[in-house]
Amino acid sequence: MADKSMPISVPSQKPLKLVKWKVKEGAFVSHGQILFLYSDSSGDSGEIKKYKVSRAGTIVSIKVREGDIADPGSCIADLEECRHPTVMKEMCAECGADLRAEEVQKHDVAVVPMVHSVPELKVSEELAQKLGREDADRLLKNRKLVLLVDLDQTLVHTTNDNIPPNLKGVLHFFLRGPGNQGRWCHTRLRPKTEEFLESASKNYELHVCTFGARQYAHAIAELLDPQKKYFSHRILSRDECFDARTKSANLKALFPCGDNMVCIIDDREDVWRHASNLIHVRPYSFFQSTGDINAPPPLPEEKPKLASGKNGSQLPISKQMPNLDAEPEKDSKDIKDKEQIDEKDKPVEGENGRIVSEKPEVIDDKSESEMDKSVEPPCVWVNTSDGQIEMEDADDYLIYLEDILKRIHKQFYDIYDSMGQHPIPDLKFIIPDVKSKVLGGSSLVFSGLVPTHQRLETSRAYQVAKSLGAEVTQDFTEKTTHLVAVRSGTAKVNASRKMGDGKGKVHVVTPDWLWSCAERWERVDERLYPLQRGGQSSARRPPAHCSSPPPPPTRRRTPSGRFMDSLNPLLSFSSDDIADMDREVEDIFNESDESSSDDEKKTTDDVDDEENISEDRLLALETNRSSQDRLMEDKEDNDSSDSNTEDGQRPRKRPRPSTPPSDDDVPPDDDDSSWNLMGAALEREFLAQD
Amino acid sequence: MFYHISLEHEILLHPRYFGPQLLDTVKQKLYTEVEGTCTGKYGFVIAVTTIDSIGAGLIQPGQGFVVYPVKYKAIVFRPFKGEVLDAIVTQVNKVGMFAQIGPLSCFISHHSIPADMEFCPNVNPPCYKSKQEDNVIQEEDVIRLKIVGTRVDATGIFAIGTLMDDYLGLVTQ
Repeated sequence: MADKSMPISVPSQKPLKLVKWKVKEGAFVSHGQILFLYSDSSGDSGEIKKYKVSRAGTIVSIKVREGDIADPGSCIADLEECRHPTVMKEMCAECGADLRAEEVQKHDVAVVPMVHSVPELKVSEELAQKLGREDADRLLKNRKLVLLVDLDQTLVHTTNDNIPPNLKGVLHFFLRGPGNQGRWCHTRLRPKTEEFLESASKNYELHVCTFGARQYAHAIAELLDPQKKYFSHRILSRDECFDARTKSANLKALFPCGDNMVCIIDDREDVWRHASNLIHVRPYSFFQSTGDINAPPPLPEEKPKLASGKNGSQLPISKQMPNLDAEPEKDSKDIKDKEQIDEKDKPVEGENGRIVSEKPEVIDDKSESEMDKSVEPPCVWVNTSDGQIEMEDADDYLIYLEDILKRIHKQFYDIYDSMGQHPIPDLKFIIPDVKSKVLGGSSLVFSGLVPTHQRLETSRAYQVAKSLGAEVTQDFTEKTTHLVAVRSGTAKVNASRKMGDGKGKVHVVTPDWLWSCAERWERVDERLYPLQRGGQSSARRPPAHCSSPPPPPTRRRTPSGRFMDSLNPLLSFSSDDIADMDREVEDIFNESDESSSDDEKKTTDDVDDEENISEDRLLALETNRSSQDRLMEDKEDNDSSDSNTEDGQRPRKRPRPSTPPSDDDVPPDDDDSSWNLMGAALEREFLAQD
Repeated sequence: MFYHISLEHEILLHPRYFGPQLLDTVKQKLYTEVEGTCTGKYGFVIAVTTIDSIGAGLIQPGQGFVVYPVKYKAIVFRPFKGEVLDAIVTQVNKVGMFAQIGPLSCFISHHSIPADMEFCPNVNPPCYKSKQEDNVIQEEDVIRLKIVGTRVDATGIFAIGTLMDDYLGLVTQ
């Protein structure tokens, strides 16, 4: 960085006598402040003048003492200009300078938004490092770590659907959107959330990191932590996220000195780019028909269905737990009732009955797409005597999570102490290490878990087992301790039964055992998951918290091995071909451009002809685009193909680029789309396997 | 600084209000449309004191809406650089603190808080504390600050403040 030190020289052509300094060395002066008083050197008769500084900054050194005489051109003091290390709304927060007006120094020093909820406040890299270091030192001193907490489906589950107003343990609040419309949110805290936060806050500094809108995030934080003792202002919401699809981009800004003391809990692995310091929690689902209302968009066109404005004000109607206090609940119930009657003109009692009876069907209808059924906690709706619907919620995951976090904390500070406090250990290594101790020393064999055409190493089960520290072998070895079998009667199961009689016992368990271990990070008792004779376990597919798509790097395919190449020869052109095509298309594009403009002049022209040409232009445009797209597709295809095929209709991206459209007829549409449909079907089948 | 000044505003009125209560509606509309707004030139309009004149209404051709030019007096709040004001602290963090001066938000950077005051994130709520612990600034406290810069937009004003001057800081009641 350039030295911004600026000398202050004698302001007049004549020598001057410095009468009095108004500032000290090292002082910060703002624009227009009086630096010193001076008079002409000729004598004391001259009037005393003030010298005002033209720029804000720090007085580094004073060269001329009081009473001294300075010659013209000589330097009186050195002023180090303000570097604007803290900027708020494009104003320097130290000298108050308007950075929009100052066009001279356009390089922005302050780029790091360090405060969660105020993205406009930015600090310089240097200052961010300093603050980050202070934070880290403070955390180490207090023997704490940082925990980033996701809200939706990790600690809470929220729905916007109409639900019975007298559900026990469900909190209702109203979010005001832009204009007059708002929305009701109904939130259920995960069982034991309060205990979890209480316990976690002893070892961790808690931050909220959610994709919910700012208003929503703050409302939920208010529910979770009314006294602001857990989260304080550390709430990062979608409005502050740099990237709509990942949260990891903000880590660098929040923790400028590195994220080696950061631990993350989230039900989505992908939004953190499969960071190794992430604890992937089992998604919490209470309202079965609703998924994550604030899920990040998987594709650009799939926007979250509810966007609320950030300017609106939030109006919590009732935030008391109904089972703690009956009176406020009644109020909110009344309000709720009124609203629902207004909306639907329907008695509330009828609605309760309807919803309760309807619930099981809803599960079947909608939850399939959102998450695996095997992780659904068994929920039973019970009408209690006091008119409230109580719902049994068997979710106990937070107990295990609490334990996991304690273990990680202990491990971190054990290492920290043993290493003589330098360097600081990195949670990105400690967390996988803690996880790998879960099944350390075990050796697993899978039976019926991995499809025969898939390699063992690429299967999700293998990766889960490996991350837990277990060995996985294709067949029985000396060391095999567990057989994970989907159904009994396979060759391996039979073999294990024979072996079991002789030497050391081999545990035969269902895959649920593996998923449980992965969920709780502990070696679950094998006797809880025995393989039933003749029974078939449905748990071949991993549950949601183990089944997210593996990180992109492992999915890279070689271009030659790409499925699309073998399916459609038109898609496997060399780069020369593509360049040729590009040229051709360019020519056509230019031609048709001219001709069409000609056409416009000719008012009486064949209508068919004109139509043809415009169609050609469209096609030319599309072909041009698609051939460029193809170059990037190697990367993109992997990511996008899953979601495309799930929609059932593959967007028609590539009309056949080989035929110059102007010469022949336009290729018939239905032919093309049938190709695409076939391709999509095949691809779906193919991709469904992994 | 507060001013009591004359201002003008145009009220656009829907034809359904045409009737005996018309002028009342115009007045009502003026209050709701003007109070609480912010203009870059005059600052925040705090309260309309008197309505001096309601000019002749002009019917918009093709619409039926009528436009009334209204002259009124109002108390406005316009912050200036160098002004000293009392504020309420709203948020304290490691970079500095935010304060509210009525409708005006203000930020005070850590650098502009006296160097002997340190940020203490461990207490709840977080605060700035001097070494002797006799001077604590936390949320909801009243502080006296000096404005060093203002960002005036069409829709709002934001200020940068400092506590680095004589008699600035916590106001003890």
